[in-house]
Amino acid sequence: MLGFLTARQAGLDDPLRLRRAESTRRVLGLTLNPDRDVDRIHANGVNAIDIDAIEGRYMLSGGADGVIVVYDLENYSGKPQYTCRAVCTVGRSSRYVHKFSVETVQWYPYDTGMFVSSSFDKTMKVWDTETLKVSHGNPYTSQSWVGTKSPKIQLCDLKSGSKIHVLQGHRGEVLSVRWSPRYEHILASASADSMVKVWDVRRAAGSLFTLDQHNGDKSKAASEAVNTAHNGRVNGLCFTGDGLHLLTTGTDDRMRLWNSGTGENTLVNYGKVCNDSRKRLQFTVSRGCSPEFVFVPCGSSVAVYALHTGEMITLLRGHYNNVDCCEFHPDYQELYSGGKDCNILAWIPVLREADLDQDSNADTSEEDWQLTVETSQEIKVNFLKVV
Amino acid sequence: MNRKRALISDTFRVKKRRNETKTFGVDINGDGLTDVKSSLEYLKTLFPRKLFNDALPQIMLKHQLYSIHSDKTLVDKEVSKLREGGELLMFQLGFDTEAFGLVFTSDYKAKVLAGEEGKVTRPVVEKFLEKVVTSCTELSFSKDKMLREFFFTDSEITQLVKSGVLTVRDAGSWWLSIPNSGKFTKYFIQGRKAVLAMVKKSKYGEVLQSEIEERRTTTQVKFHMKYHICDIVGAELVESIPSTSGALLRFVDS
Repeated sequence: MLGFLTARQAGLDDPLRLRRAESTRRVLGLTLNPDRDVDRIHANGVNAIDIDAIEGRYMLSGGADGVIVVYDLENYSGKPQYTCRAVCTVGRSSRYVHKFSVETVQWYPYDTGMFVSSSFDKTMKVWDTETLKVSHGNPYTSQSWVGTKSPKIQLCDLKSGSKIHVLQGHRGEVLSVRWSPRYEHILASASADSMVKVWDVRRAAGSLFTLDQHNGDKSKAASEAVNTAHNGRVNGLCFTGDGLHLLTTGTDDRMRLWNSGTGENTLVNYGKVCNDSRKRLQFTVSRGCSPEFVFVPCGSSVAVYALHTGEMITLLRGHYNNVDCCEFHPDYQELYSGGKDCNILAWIPVLREADLDQDSNADTSEEDWQLTVETSQEIKVNFLKVV
Repeated sequence: MNRKRALISDTFRVKKRRNETKTFGVDINGDGLTDVKSSLEYLKTLFPRKLFNDALPQIMLKHQLYSIHSDKTLVDKEVSKLREGGELLMFQLGFDTEAFGLVFTSDYKAKVLAGEEGKVTRPVVEKFLEKVVTSCTELSFSKDKMLREFFFTDSEITQLVKSGVLTVRDAGSWWLSIPNSGKFTKYFIQGRKAVLAMVKKSKYGEVLQSEIEERRTTTQVKFHMKYHICDIVGAELVESIPSTSGALLRFVDS
């Protein structure tokens, strides 16, 4: 670590190298920490989590009871022991609360003033974070997608609240939809009919291409049918941070990595990724590490795989019941996962050991200084005094 | 049943045979290089030729390699390289979409021709082996392809199906197959089920690999125990956990 620092200082190394090396070391050391906790508000399972993209400070969570909670993840208390407290909640008593379980929550990508939630009560609501009321007629134009039980994908305009575009092509219910982080107009959708389609919303015609797990080699498929991405329902979809690759998981217990530009299956073999979820599985990819990692909920634990080699690194065990969603905090290399046991667990990188003060006087109390390096835009070094 | 086993004292345990060359700890084939070909040769030795009266070539399964080498993507790449080089043939065995059988091309050709001795279909099969098997690396063929690229007539295709080299897949498409492999598939599935039941019935659903290899197998298990173990570990039906007494196989509930 000091070697990396001096090399960066002397200009021998690219500044990015130190950052990547440290991020990777931190991700490999993810573990449950007794000092970090998330407030337990949900009384039923947690279905979706989202961390805002700008500051990485606030986390949204949507539960099976229709409750939506906003947590503050930053620790300004000065003590290492911190419980991420719930800043505000849309509880069952609110006038605008969803009738049934909330399936997706997402922050507005440009600021935390607004968020969107969709639920099983067939509605999608746009909320104002200050007042926690459903709003219409806000001044920002933006688009959002809605995947519904029917095979159609509807694009809604957030400004007016109306549906502007319908994407047709799937034959079964659409389970997951994602915008590409690289191009604003590219969208990928996964459905229960085993197909994953990539769309360009500027085009009037159908999808750009459908992902084929055999890469056109019809001889391997079970029958001469259409291109399928999986041999079962496709219930998870995730783009990598740079948008160049797309990951899909399906109920055939497989996870596949695709080239998002050409739609080619990169044939990375992750082995058996247990998946028996009937609805969407929210999984995530790390950002800023040297070999990127995929965090997939696998039963009651979260499996960590190396993205390009497919080897399983570790299983993060801690939940008492099925894990439904997980989200990676890129600035602090932390992982938040929520599941049916109503808990949101925070997986924190293991801190380096404290260096004990060698000469301690009898008068003064012994102080252990802990050095924690937090990698973000510029390297912040926090000294936490632990008595 | 387990209680009964535990109550019998050691002096009465005549069935247990001690393996003198027991290795301590985990037996990893780790040498840095993924030598898939030598692993295939090793699996070849586990295949029981006598059982099929030497009529079948030695069949290995692709996922058995996953139990020997840790990096699955590398194994897949090596297998494709061998297939492109014409040394290895891959077959869709039929009982599982993900279970692929691997046979060395030389073995396959020798056994098929030996099986075709004195039969009417022999010249057609020879022609098929020469033209198609040598050049093509696909698992299945469509009617279009057979007629246009390889110039086989309909009657010739029927003869190939009769001889067992092609199996019907869809209307107008065929899988490449191994003649007389039905018996293999039957014994294999039977044996796999029996071995899995043995692991599942053990206390806590787990058993040491060295112990299960020593056990007396039922008549259901016709293959070598190691062949089945490589298969169930590679197919992730059991988990192989390294322990201080060797590898432990734990049944995976799914």
